[in-house]
Amino acid sequence: MDLVALQGLNFVYISLTLALVALGLAVVFGLLGVMNMAHGEFVMLGAYSVLVVQNAGLPFLAALPLALALCAAVGWLLEFLVIRHLYRRPFDTLLATWGLAILIREIVEASFGRDYKSIDQSLPGTVDMFGVDYPAYRIVLMALIVVFFIGLLVWYSRSNTGARIKAMVSNPALATAVGINTALLARGAFIFGVCMAGLAGVALSPLVRVEPYMGLDYLLSSFFILVVGGLGSLAGLLVGSTVIGGSDAIVSAITSKTGGYMTVLVISILFLWLRPNGIVARD
Amino acid sequence: MASSRAINVLFLIGLLLVPFVWDSFVAYQLGLFLLYGMVGQGIGLCWGRAGFLPLGQALFFGIGAYVFGATLKSADGSGIVLVAGLLAAVLAPALFAFGVGLLVFIRQIGSGPYFSLITLALTMLGFQLANSMDWLTGGFNGMTGIPALPGTDTYETLYYVIWAALVLVSGLLAYVGTAPFGQLLGATAQNEERLQYFGFNTALLKAIAFAISAAVAGLAGALFAPHQGIVTPQAVGFLLSAEIVVWTAVGGRASLIGPVLGAILIGFMASELRDSFQYWEVLIALIFVIVVIRFPGGLWSLVEGLARRAPSLGAKRARERDIGIEKSRTDGPVDLVFEDVELVLGPVRILDKLSFRIETPGVHSIIGPNGAGKTSAFNVLTGRLKPTAGRIRYNGSSVGGLSRHRIARMGIARKLQIPSVFPDLSVGRNVDIALWAGDLTHSQMFTLRPFRWTTPLLGEMQGIFPFLGEADHSAGSLSLGQRQMLDFAMTCLTQSPLLLLDEPCAALSSSETGEMIDAIEKIVALTGSTAIIIEHDMQVVERLSDHVLVLNQGALLANGAMEEIRADPAVRAVYGGGSK
Repeated sequence: MDLVALQGLNFVYISLTLALVALGLAVVFGLLGVMNMAHGEFVMLGAYSVLVVQNAGLPFLAALPLALALCAAVGWLLEFLVIRHLYRRPFDTLLATWGLAILIREIVEASFGRDYKSIDQSLPGTVDMFGVDYPAYRIVLMALIVVFFIGLLVWYSRSNTGARIKAMVSNPALATAVGINTALLARGAFIFGVCMAGLAGVALSPLVRVEPYMGLDYLLSSFFILVVGGLGSLAGLLVGSTVIGGSDAIVSAITSKTGGYMTVLVISILFLWLRPNGIVARD
Repeated sequence: MASSRAINVLFLIGLLLVPFVWDSFVAYQLGLFLLYGMVGQGIGLCWGRAGFLPLGQALFFGIGAYVFGATLKSADGSGIVLVAGLLAAVLAPALFAFGVGLLVFIRQIGSGPYFSLITLALTMLGFQLANSMDWLTGGFNGMTGIPALPGTDTYETLYYVIWAALVLVSGLLAYVGTAPFGQLLGATAQNEERLQYFGFNTALLKAIAFAISAAVAGLAGALFAPHQGIVTPQAVGFLLSAEIVVWTAVGGRASLIGPVLGAILIGFMASELRDSFQYWEVLIALIFVIVVIRFPGGLWSLVEGLARRAPSLGAKRARERDIGIEKSRTDGPVDLVFEDVELVLGPVRILDKLSFRIETPGVHSIIGPNGAGKTSAFNVLTGRLKPTAGRIRYNGSSVGGLSRHRIARMGIARKLQIPSVFPDLSVGRNVDIALWAGDLTHSQMFTLRPFRWTTPLLGEMQGIFPFLGEADHSAGSLSLGQRQMLDFAMTCLTQSPLLLLDEPCAALSSSETGEMIDAIEKIVALTGSTAIIIEHDMQVVERLSDHVLVLNQGALLANGAMEEIRADPAVRAVYGGGSK
């Protein structure tokens, strides 16, 4: 019974954190159509912000503004210099962001070294949940993610900005014609997306390995989540995270980490093949 | 071209002299970079020519290395075992790549991020497998104690084997690039959809290109095993994959030798600077970003730019078209039936129970106001869109749901509304592709004879459109009107029984319109084919066709001779009082 509760909690935890990690790519790729190959590197920047804060002796939460500012600055620069010229050229964006991903990775590696960094647990201890002792930090994180997603959903469906984004996504030319500044809106959405990646990096840093190449896994799992769940909706993002996170967790527990990875890859290729629009197709 | 081939040959000969000019240790180091460069050449075929970027090429390199490493360890000098092992090291990656490529490319989303990310994921998976399968690969510590290639000394003569492999691969890739296969790959990168309307299975073309690149990577990996004496999971890993992509880009992805040059230069500089200059990798990444965005030609384009100032070695000779061929799908009778065809996209009903039948040769016109569903009727007929309901039958067989190239191969050729030629190819190559349509076999794709093909119709066509004779002009430099004409000529040269011409006179001047009308009349009379044209200009319609279909709101409004159409009150109502 305890084992079931524990595995259930792990399952929810993995799905929710994956959804948080993929949120940024869901905005940038799902809405703007920009395949940001540097998505995982923004997660990495978030995690390294925590390391910087920790080395400076500041509290964990100080990493939040640092990560957001850093990601926003890098994201703005990236959008301004590269992305905005390439919105209708997916292959060129792929290349450019791939190059930038390597660049960010190499800068971090040259500055901090290649080795794994350990981040102190800022909220140690466990909480009794359904009869199992579960790490307190994970519980708090799960609760925050749920609250955050509900807030985001309400905001996106009610706000003017949400409506403008939907207008821009479904018909950019018409959106411009009715007076929506799509260039500004796209830039805002891009920066929001990379900031969300950074935020995910901060949140996960005490729980995962922190090293310059950590971003690749997050890029791939985010991408697979979008392939399976479908582009353009929050529901698709959550469904995709559940399928990817769930199958990875279950198969990894039964066989090995490699087995879980292979399962995720096979599921994603099957989806591309059989259901290219994902489970929750747009419209 | 001739001078760039000369540079390639000089470069390769120069590499052969390295052990004499420097010493064998430099040559040993260089050998490794040449192996990486070969992998880069394969990436160049996919990326520089066919327009899709594989990000996990080290997977194939590593498979080759493990397979041949295991072979060397167990061969005991047996020649047969060695040859079999080498074949396996080359063919296993090729077959695997072919399967993955076909699987991904058949879906239309295949060329962009989806393909690249799947190859990236595969190389990450390969790394994990190599790490965890101790019994097969030696796990984290690698497969060790791989003996030297029999008959060679690793630090002396192995270099010549590697050099020979490089020459072989370069020659093979140069030939494949020049042959029809390479031209078709280039056309795929420029306008994949247009090539499908000529009946080419572009997914298959790209999968073959990916398989060739994997075979080359496998061969390089096979030589890597005796060169290093050890194969670790790093050989399949993501890092090596990414590095080779960087070297390929910096050296020049569109050229044959560029990737090798990139590997050599960055490789030697890295071994000099990596330890002394902390930000070396950052510098390389920065160079990569700049090259990708601003200088897609890479370093090799600089080399060629210098060489262009030198006197050219021999002028380029256009090939004579001296092999007359008979197009296989000669112009037979056509029976096209639309039966209650519906097309619904989102909330919009584009085709609403559209039904008609066309079974007489000659020119049929489809007219109707904007949004009537004229082009959409072509789209569902040629496989661009899938009808939501209803049946389309062509000469008795169902068309609905087939892929574009299959429908084209049934004998339906289409000219799109916007003239779609292959701008980076010459006029002659554009014509070649139309002549090949439906008749070029897979083995002929790898021979040079199809460049000499000609048909009687091509002669007629050159009489009508003299600019077709200037075969070396780039199609991109033609005027808009000439591109319309080239596109039309290409559509007709397929000699499909059914020609779909979407606004063939759009954007033409009035004199050009006259020429085009004459051409359509002449070609259709000459070939006895059936043409359906979409046209807004009533004068064109009146001159060309005796049968007119009027579409409105996605359904057939009227159908008959021009006079009947003019008299039809329903048509008059839609057109607001009749024709102009």
